[in-house]
Amino acid sequence: MGLRRLAPAVAAAVLLFAVGACTDAVGRSASIVDAARLRIGVKDDQPGLGMRADDGAIKGFDVDVALYIAGELGLTPEDVEFVGVTSEERERALVSGEVDLVLATYSITQLRKTVVTFGGPYYVAHQDILVSAGDTSITGVADLEGRRLCQGAGSNSASRVIEERGIDAVSVERPTYSDCIGLLAEGEVDAVSTDDLILAGYLENRPSAFHLVNAPFTNEKYGVGVAKDDIAGCEEVNRAITRMYQDGTAAWLLRKWFGDSGLDINTSVPQFEGCG
Amino acid sequence: MKRSVEPPEIADRLALRAAERARSRIGLPAWAGRPGTRGRVWLLSALCLVLTGVLFAATWSGIARARQGLDVIGSGEGPKVVATADLYFALSDMDAQMANVLLMGADHWLGDGRAAALVRYEQRRSDASEALLHAAQLAEGDRTEEQNVRAVMEGMNRYEHLVAQAQLISDEAGRPAGSPPEEVVRLYREAGELMRRDLLPKAYNLTLDSGATVRSTYQENSSASSVGIALVAAAATALLASLVALQLFLRRRFRRRYNLPLAVATAGVLVLGLAAIGMLEQQASYLRSAKVDGLDSVLSLSRARAISTGMNADQSRWLMDPGRAVTYEQNFLEDARMVVLLVPEGSDPPGDLEGYTAEVAEAAPDHTAYDGRMLGLLGGEIRSGGVEGREEVQRRALRDYSAFLSADQRMRSLAEDGRIAAAVDAHMSGEESADDYFDRYERSLVQLTALHINTFDTAVAEARAGLRGWDAAVLGACLGFAALVVLGVRPRLAEYR
Repeated sequence: MGLRRLAPAVAAAVLLFAVGACTDAVGRSASIVDAARLRIGVKDDQPGLGMRADDGAIKGFDVDVALYIAGELGLTPEDVEFVGVTSEERERALVSGEVDLVLATYSITQLRKTVVTFGGPYYVAHQDILVSAGDTSITGVADLEGRRLCQGAGSNSASRVIEERGIDAVSVERPTYSDCIGLLAEGEVDAVSTDDLILAGYLENRPSAFHLVNAPFTNEKYGVGVAKDDIAGCEEVNRAITRMYQDGTAAWLLRKWFGDSGLDINTSVPQFEGCG
Repeated sequence: MKRSVEPPEIADRLALRAAERARSRIGLPAWAGRPGTRGRVWLLSALCLVLTGVLFAATWSGIARARQGLDVIGSGEGPKVVATADLYFALSDMDAQMANVLLMGADHWLGDGRAAALVRYEQRRSDASEALLHAAQLAEGDRTEEQNVRAVMEGMNRYEHLVAQAQLISDEAGRPAGSPPEEVVRLYREAGELMRRDLLPKAYNLTLDSGATVRSTYQENSSASSVGIALVAAAATALLASLVALQLFLRRRFRRRYNLPLAVATAGVLVLGLAAIGMLEQQASYLRSAKVDGLDSVLSLSRARAISTGMNADQSRWLMDPGRAVTYEQNFLEDARMVVLLVPEGSDPPGDLEGYTAEVAEAAPDHTAYDGRMLGLLGGEIRSGGVEGREEVQRRALRDYSAFLSADQRMRSLAEDGRIAAAVDAHMSGEESADDYFDRYERSLVQLTALHINTFDTAVAEARAGLRGWDAAVLGACLGFAALVVLGVRPRLAEYR
């Protein structure tokens, strides 16, 4: 019987074509858009941005922004798990899939864009200078000439002053910026220079001890790290950030976490980096 | 299975009789389970006709989908996205022209002159309104985006109000170039901040979002089109198989060498199937070329042009407002890195503007000989392939960009030596000025963009031409197949009357 002998062949041919066509559609990796739960990498030692409280929960501006984005993706706070990451860890954690998103004072740079995709920035921070309260001799980056400037290990904030701007400051390095703040409080160094949001976070804790100079001299675009090929997810993050600024949540969160620091806060939506 | 050796008529008669007996025992209707040759012919013919219908439906919907994708990307969203890409450029050029006007003060003849700058300002203002109109159409139905468009419109009004005031005071003061009154600086600083911190980011995000719309449309379309192609292939294969089965069956049962109408139909299905698959794949590749080599590149280059215009404006700001010179220089460098980022092999990219300019100067003469990676909005577009002459234009754009940066360095070193008037000259007067190099660089960018717009238009036009006549051809061919099947089996069935 011709038909009976042909039937398996026909079925096989149909299957072959269908499989060939579908690999294109199902071969795409999962997007955060469809995720039922999210693991989000945040800092857990950065006051104001992401700081582990005594009860173990991480709190801060980055955490609140992450929760807003998750909410726009249709998730409740219970669906979100926060994971503490350091500056050194965050890229690897994202690339390996250990976390789905990173909001950890993660500056967008053209180089990092070759490894991960960035939603946002959700805020553009600027390198600024923190001095002791009452110190009025430093009003801008040029006044750091001859002064002792503290930077955290792994950071290049002092070299941006000394090498890129040719300002002859004395660099002092400590393991973390918290240690630098301690030195500043004791008068061991004259200034600490890093992102204004980080400085503002420390300032919120001890508003009377320090003074933020408010002389920004770089742009640090805080991005939302998304897996490299999750373009749809990145676009959804951008939409969420747009809404966060439109409905006033961003302005409210910025004031909530940094309102008392005297920082000049920009409450209009930053220019996004683009997903593709 | 035992082969039947009797002539078909006798075997049939025997089988029929047996079947009738069985049917009367279990009470089945007359048509069911009729195992005879006639029944088989009926069955196979019906299958062929149904599968012809399926092939028609699959091909027809594949063509409809291709046409729909072409409409959305080729004449709906695509051109609008290009139009919104102009929004950022129009706004930033408005700002650059105004900075020039205010920097000139009473020296109206500097550069291209004040009148020319004002004409260009007005031109950009109307471009911006036009682009906003397209953006509003694209945003329709999306509340977030609609709100964004409205915010840009309101911001534009506020900006114009501020610069009108600044211009008025500047005119009244009548100061020479490079030393505007403090009030003008204050007002322009406010306007510039509004432009840079509020308007331009929103305009840029608007373009990104319409780009995202095209990307998701394209993505859906290309997935659907692969499935569509597979369906056509499957339908054609199934129809071919059943036609061959029918052919073999008739040959065995009726002892004919071959059935001509069925053979013609088989060949026809093969030809139509292959042609349709080829055409649909060609359509997908046209659409891909329109998107990737056309639209994506146009968007990247428009963004490169917009950001370069901002760099040009930051040169004016840097000269005009020494109090914030550090910030403006930093902005300039960051924008430059977005346009072209050079990553030398084995070391970090240069951290300051001088080092960056030197690095670009090293890579520009022959980028293929550069030892490192070239990224960024323009840098990423420097690649081989495409229409003839494109690589040459890319090369020129890169060289002009480098010349612009070198002119920028000359201007900055003059100003740093305290020779402000000479620096203003180096910025905007004559053939060797930074502005002049900027114009050349911008022209190359526009030319490169035009080549990609051309690629887009060509791909869309070719895709349209490729679809022409297919509706009628598919309909006609499938009706023909059905007629051939009927024609092929009718004489055989007639033997039973």
